Amino acid sequence: MAVLSIRLYEMVVIRTDNLTKYYGDVRGVEDLSFSVEAGEVFGFLGPNGAGKTTAIRTLLGFQSPTSGSATVLDADVADAAALRDARARVGYLPSEPAFDDRVTGRRLLSYHGALRGDVRSDELLDMFTPPLDRPVGDYSRGNRQMLAIVLAFMHDPDLLIMDEPTSGLDPLKQETFLEFVRTERERGTTFFFSSHVLSEVRKVCDRVGIIRDGRLVEVASVDSLLHRSGKHVRLTLGDSVDADAFDLPGVHDVTVGGGARREPADRGDDVTTVSFTYTGAYEPLLRRVLEHDLRDLSIEEAPIEDVFMRFYDEAAQEAASEPAAGGDAADGEAEDA
Amino acid sequence: MTGPADQRRSTTLAVARFEGRKRLRTTAVAAAVLSAYGILFVWVGPDLVGGEELQVLLDAMPPVLVELLGFESLASLAGLLAGEYYTFGWLVGLAGYVAYTAASAVAGDMETGRMDTLLAAPVSRSAVLLGSFLALLVPIVGINAITAPVLYLATVAVGEPLSFADLLALHALSVPYLLCWGAVGLLLGVVVGRSRTAGRVALALVFASWLTESLLDVSDYAWAGAVTPTRYLDTSAVLVDGQYDLVGAILLLAATVLLVALSSRAFARRDL
Repeated sequence: MAVLSIRLYEMVVIRTDNLTKYYGDVRGVEDLSFSVEAGEVFGFLGPNGAGKTTAIRTLLGFQSPTSGSATVLDADVADAAALRDARARVGYLPSEPAFDDRVTGRRLLSYHGALRGDVRSDELLDMFTPPLDRPVGDYSRGNRQMLAIVLAFMHDPDLLIMDEPTSGLDPLKQETFLEFVRTERERGTTFFFSSHVLSEVRKVCDRVGIIRDGRLVEVASVDSLLHRSGKHVRLTLGDSVDADAFDLPGVHDVTVGGGARREPADRGDDVTTVSFTYTGAYEPLLRRVLEHDLRDLSIEEAPIEDVFMRFYDEAAQEAASEPAAGGDAADGEAEDA
Repeated sequence: MTGPADQRRSTTLAVARFEGRKRLRTTAVAAAVLSAYGILFVWVGPDLVGGEELQVLLDAMPPVLVELLGFESLASLAGLLAGEYYTFGWLVGLAGYVAYTAASAVAGDMETGRMDTLLAAPVSRSAVLLGSFLALLVPIVGINAITAPVLYLATVAVGEPLSFADLLALHALSVPYLLCWGAVGLLLGVVVGRSRTAGRVALALVFASWLTESLLDVSDYAWAGAVTPTRYLDTSAVLVDGQYDLVGAILLLAATVLLVALSSRAFARRDL
């Protein structure tokens, strides 16, 4: 029996079962059911206000679920004592790490070390380099984030719960951090983190869950998600075209617009900008593009907002009730509550 | 491995040490200001007390005003200090500071998200709250420990030494009084959750408590003042008459324990 329970424990690190959190009448998250398995990097995606932070803070026991349940490392989030013990093996990186501004980084390090144990801060400080002897109030956003990273990992936790972990880091440190996450994953550490940056999700995540308006709309592997999300293509053309000019398979959401104002003076002629999302192969696209007077071309990974909009579109089409886009600004309050 | 009780204790101590250290500077400043203010009283006091003009003036004033301003015991330096310096400095001033600090500390941590960072560690909320409360002992004990000898030496210097035992008793008895206000502030902070609001309400309560007690004392409803902590620390009784209200001190401590327990319960249940 004991062996069985250990194996179950090792397989599922986070499990939520219809987890629901309302702030009064305001929905935070509703009916979240998913599980995160040991050793995987699970990305939790969604726009601001979708309920990512609400879910994370409920998992950590900062607020109690309105209904439904969740376990973290086998501890029920409603059981304060069990969750407290479990947190010894959990690292948490908040989205906006807050510290006492008058205190130096070094003192915070020893304070949090006293509370959770410190087995590897020296090693972490080689990678992440906040100025420890200065008061945290003087820190830049990036330094603050680096200190938070060191605090989250210093007790060598088995599970990391992170809320927008790379926000505030400069690109170089973002790379360092993502590389660090990959290395930790090799050591068997499990990650659950929210993000709206698809590129970082793509680099490190095995699976993602997409949350919208507090509800989980998709759980998928990153590969399948990337295939569906496609690329964001932006063209600047010297000739005038209409939307039908790029009606290739895999082209979505074509926008055509004029762009003469931004063109340098020596090319005073009119240009047209065309942008769309593309999920097909490069060759047919490039052939079609070269039929036009191409001035500029960029092909980028679609931002997560586009992926998200796609899910929104699908949901709206299924419901066949309301217009597809643009109704999401209103739910921003839930996450701040 | 350490047991849960050891873990709680070490959490409480770590929090108390960290939070207490943050209060060192304010403690030093407040102790310096209160010492200077006290020396001023001792210095000009002998000129003020015992004058006949003053007594005539006091006799002409309404009893409520005399009570409010603490003029009833101006006959000696001890009376002046008890009625003015300790009333405004300790019963109102220091109590207000302690209540405000207690209210805004925990609420501020919740407001800013610092509490999230703290509670992400394997710590219980009650241990953290208790640590935060115990940190109030730094200003409470620190300020008393500095001002008491300063005041005594000042009175010796002007040739009107106070009773050292009475002075010591007053400062010692102010500790449960101030702790009780800290506990009131703590409960407010936990329940209200917004540091500014909680702090202001705490401050207002301290002031209202002193005002109520002073006004009720000269009315027929003096018994109603029993709910105010101010009732249980009578500075004039200690300093002028040498009477120590130990039962009052015990009541204040009991109220403190009750309020901290209530805060802890409310804190454990609330959403951060």
